[in-house]
Amino acid sequence: MGIFEGLDAEPYDRKYSDNVLLKRIFGYFKPQRGRLVVIVMVAILISLISASSVLIVSRAVDLIKSAPTVTNISLIAGLGLIAGVLIWIANWVGRRTTVQAIAGVVIQLATDAFEASTQHDLSFYDEYSSGRIVSRITTDTQDFGQLVTIVTDVLSQVLEALVLGMVLLTIDWKLTLIIFAIMPVIFSLGILFRSIARRVTRQGMRAIANVNSTIKETISGIAVAKNFRQEKSIFRDFDKANKLSYRLNWQRGLVLNLVFPVLNAIAGSMTAVMVYTGGLTVSQGIVTAGAWYLFILSLDRFMFPVMNISAFWSSIQNGFSAAERVFALIDAEPAVVQKDDQHVPDLKGQIDFDQVRFFYKKNEDVLDDFSLHIKPGETVALVGHTGAGKSSIAKLIARFYEFQGGAIRIDGQDIRSFNLEEYRRHLGIVSQLPFLFSGTVAENIRYARPDARLNEIEKLARQIGSGDWLDTLPRGLRTQVGERGGRLSMGQRQLVSLMRVLVQRPAIFVLDEATASIDPFTEWQIQQALNLILERTTSILIAHRLSTVKSADRIIVMEKGKIIEEGTHSSLMSAGGYYAMLYNTYFRHQSLEYIQKSRELAEDLV
Amino acid sequence: MSISEFTLAHLYKTNRRGPMRWIISHALHNWYLPLAAIVSAFFNAFLLSIVQVNIGNAYNVITATSVDLKSLGGIAIIITVCSLGRGLLQFVRNGGFELTAQRTEKAVREELYVSLLGKSMTFHNLQPVGDTMARATNDVRQVNFFFSPGMSQVIGSINFLIMPLIVTPTINPGLLLTPVIFIILYVLALWEYLLTLRPVTDEVRESFGDLNTRLAEALDGIETVKGASQEKFEVKLFGKKAGRYRDAAVHQGKVEARFLPLLLLSLAYAGGLFHALMLYHFGIINMGQVISYFGLLLMLDFPTFTSLWAYSLIASGLAGGRRILELMNRENNLDQNLQGYTGPMKGAIEFRHVSFKYETGEPVLDRVSFKVSPGQTVAIVGQTGSSKTTLVRLVNRTYDVTGGKILVDGVDVKDWNLEDLRRGISMIEQDIFLFSDSVADNIAFGKQHAKLPEIIEAAKAAQADDFIRSFKKGYKTVIGERGVTLSGGQRQRLALARAFLTDPSILILDDSTSAIDSATEDQIQRAIYAAAKGRTTFIITHRLSQIRWADLILVMKQGRLVARGSHEDLMNKSLAYRRIFSEA
Repeated sequence: MGIFEGLDAEPYDRKYSDNVLLKRIFGYFKPQRGRLVVIVMVAILISLISASSVLIVSRAVDLIKSAPTVTNISLIAGLGLIAGVLIWIANWVGRRTTVQAIAGVVIQLATDAFEASTQHDLSFYDEYSSGRIVSRITTDTQDFGQLVTIVTDVLSQVLEALVLGMVLLTIDWKLTLIIFAIMPVIFSLGILFRSIARRVTRQGMRAIANVNSTIKETISGIAVAKNFRQEKSIFRDFDKANKLSYRLNWQRGLVLNLVFPVLNAIAGSMTAVMVYTGGLTVSQGIVTAGAWYLFILSLDRFMFPVMNISAFWSSIQNGFSAAERVFALIDAEPAVVQKDDQHVPDLKGQIDFDQVRFFYKKNEDVLDDFSLHIKPGETVALVGHTGAGKSSIAKLIARFYEFQGGAIRIDGQDIRSFNLEEYRRHLGIVSQLPFLFSGTVAENIRYARPDARLNEIEKLARQIGSGDWLDTLPRGLRTQVGERGGRLSMGQRQLVSLMRVLVQRPAIFVLDEATASIDPFTEWQIQQALNLILERTTSILIAHRLSTVKSADRIIVMEKGKIIEEGTHSSLMSAGGYYAMLYNTYFRHQSLEYIQKSRELAEDLV
Repeated sequence: MSISEFTLAHLYKTNRRGPMRWIISHALHNWYLPLAAIVSAFFNAFLLSIVQVNIGNAYNVITATSVDLKSLGGIAIIITVCSLGRGLLQFVRNGGFELTAQRTEKAVREELYVSLLGKSMTFHNLQPVGDTMARATNDVRQVNFFFSPGMSQVIGSINFLIMPLIVTPTINPGLLLTPVIFIILYVLALWEYLLTLRPVTDEVRESFGDLNTRLAEALDGIETVKGASQEKFEVKLFGKKAGRYRDAAVHQGKVEARFLPLLLLSLAYAGGLFHALMLYHFGIINMGQVISYFGLLLMLDFPTFTSLWAYSLIASGLAGGRRILELMNRENNLDQNLQGYTGPMKGAIEFRHVSFKYETGEPVLDRVSFKVSPGQTVAIVGQTGSSKTTLVRLVNRTYDVTGGKILVDGVDVKDWNLEDLRRGISMIEQDIFLFSDSVADNIAFGKQHAKLPEIIEAAKAAQADDFIRSFKKGYKTVIGERGVTLSGGQRQRLALARAFLTDPSILILDDSTSAIDSATEDQIQRAIYAAAKGRTTFIITHRLSQIRWADLILVMKQGRLVARGSHEDLMNKSLAYRRIFSEA
């Protein structure tokens, strides 16, 4: 559940020295310094005015007692009125400025964090869940922004307490000491409550998370349960979790609800003490009755700031460690490093791997001394068992990962010498789980080339199976695809991502073919789209479908990071080597022969 | 009233005719808790007013020419006792509402859950899980917050508004002027504030949701972003969405900053003080009474500050309650038809001009007709959106036809006893759901007292025995435990094993698994073939091999049946059909 997300440490987290951290934090507050000055001034103003309004009321008591003239009364009420209006105005200015300052700081930090995140390598995303990165960008930045409120709130309350404290001390130090004596008690009480509250809250939150996950599991299973009339058994699981959550949460609720009653009881009893001891001093003529009233009115204004101060440090630390987490995200070091920033002209699409060495983890080489030459315009299919190194080749061409030895050259040029952004514009990449963004089909198709015109897209779309797939979309190219493309079927998502590449017209095409099952009609259209792309590009296909393998000019058979065979489908089949074995394992059931004979096969086997 | 398919005896009745009535009927079930809380809230305010009055009295005592220490001590004792009493009463107030909140949360969650269990399959098929989850989690919490801290603070603070009205006349009835005016203006200002704030907070929530969605998408799709070199575009887009959120948040802050009741409070202090001092000036009240009165006015700060946030909790609690009720009150449109036809099912099926529309009027199926003899295997093929799944769901009345008729063994499905109809038809959905339970229990789900040998036999027929035995604990393996993950094909075979145990006359299989290798494909083929044998079987499939051996093939396109026949027929008749077999 929300509360604990994002608090977990990640290996890229680092400890910044206080100096560095503070300097950087100030960097974010600097653009807001005008506002911050206003906020602090307002905070000081408010604390002064509200301290003085307490003074006004108590002074009034003495003044009016001795000289109850209409002028004096009007003066007192007028002063009170002015103080009230001033506080309201100051508060208004302060709050709006605070909100603006916080928003400015938070948005700046969040934007920086997001920008840095887009620069991180894919290896970074393999390692760290994007959900946690999201929570650093949203939640942690907000926590950081709260520093402004925490500091100003405490500042103005403490200031007010200080001013009043000084005034009280000058009036009578003995009475003041009585007030001060209770402060440590309140302070420790605050700390004690915080630690208890934190523990019970954590337990309560966990119990709720538990109920929710139970509900989630069983709701998904309700149809099955109903099918077999098993409602009772799934109700039992739910009931157990629900009861546990109730037990932990009412305990939590009662603990949390204890704080203010206790505090108020203490404050009230202190008032009684003040009324009596103060009354004694008044009767001895040491202080005036107005001063006595001042002491009584001031009590609350000491109690609550002290309560707040007890939480101050941990709030500040929360803000700081939130900042530290965001900075760590921003500073995570990239692994892919370009040596140069050369302009990339139109590419022909020749690819050379020259004795490349590559691993994800040290001592576990995926590719070792790997060499491969791909001619411009050639279509190469990579086949082999999982872990043979097929997708590593694709990732290295896309420059998503850094390799450790040898060289990769595109059109004879070192891949590390290119301007990366320009280079990737010449690549068309379709991954195994094609990803679409919320928006329309057309927006997704032109994602890599935002200037593509709608009629151009339409024309291309109609070339694929005479545009049948467009007709199955409720609003054609304007259909909303939903979050992550969820409203489209897998097959439609693949078609859209292939269209994306067709519109982009890259020189090099990298496809990690999906393994999901797709209806045969859509599959046929995907094949059509693929053929159109293959005609125009140098293509590297990580193939899972027989038809794709067959459409390649050259099949590269890989095992354990090495090329062990290459050739065309028919030459490799007749050679009867490793490929023939792979065929029997992965592709046989896709062949027409298998399909034609399937009934006999099934009957035989039963 | 619909007939619920699942009920629990110990649940108490609630009034479901509106969110407010419903929430209150929950609170009334534990009536003594909110009652104790409300009474405590009243006396808490009352004791505070006694404290305030006594501070004024104390002033009179200490300014008298000879100070009576005894009565001063008496006053101090009254204040102490009142304060300790207040602590207790406050705790009862907060705790009473807290317990009401927790009990209601538990009961509401249970009521909703039981209601969900009682709903028909139609309901569950049409209702997205995510939406149900949101209501069962967030909205249930909102109902909790309605009571605590929502009601606890609102009731508590309303008593602080009322108390000065009750106690002030004991000092001087004329002094009621200020609190009365304050309360009227306060209510108006608060009303205006809440009305202004609502659209603003909606915009904040919406813009944040929008920002968060795109952010999550961009990071999940980072490979696509980088592959298309669109990092800069995404950063710009993020900036734009962040800007919208910032504007909304700042707007909210500005509305909150000019919170008028705060100003009214200062005006009330000044005005009340002026009034009281004038009365003192004319000798109508003494100085102690001025202080008592001012103390009473100070009580108004609690409602003023509380209203900044407490009323919106009430509003969102009611909104949450409304969403939960709406879900619970949604009617089940299928009746059980207990008097319906109950004969043994042979498995003949006929679709006669069957049409189906959603309630929105969107047509889904358009005049579909075909006949299937008992024991035949029917393959349904077509692109996404061709309504294949809807077609089969009409057979077991997951949905009801909106036009035409479906006959099973010559009897309209609407005339069948619903339970018998469903018992005769087994449906294996695309997403196969397994419980976090042992493999054996999952297979025996439809036949609770099945013996192990029976279960093993079913698993063998479904080609699942081999992989089940490959687990360390075999049939006792608990699904979902660490390290036990099942592939789509394996889940499907467990579901098939379930069907072997229940032995239905009609089997409907929505098959979207894909075999990664030929050996697995062989097993799936065998399992499905064995399951289809001896019963009428519908297979929604992408597998050419299954299409190839089906007795009847239905080709669907956008809700219409565009071709039907055997493989040979279709190879002759349909170009689209021929094409898909040519490329393999």
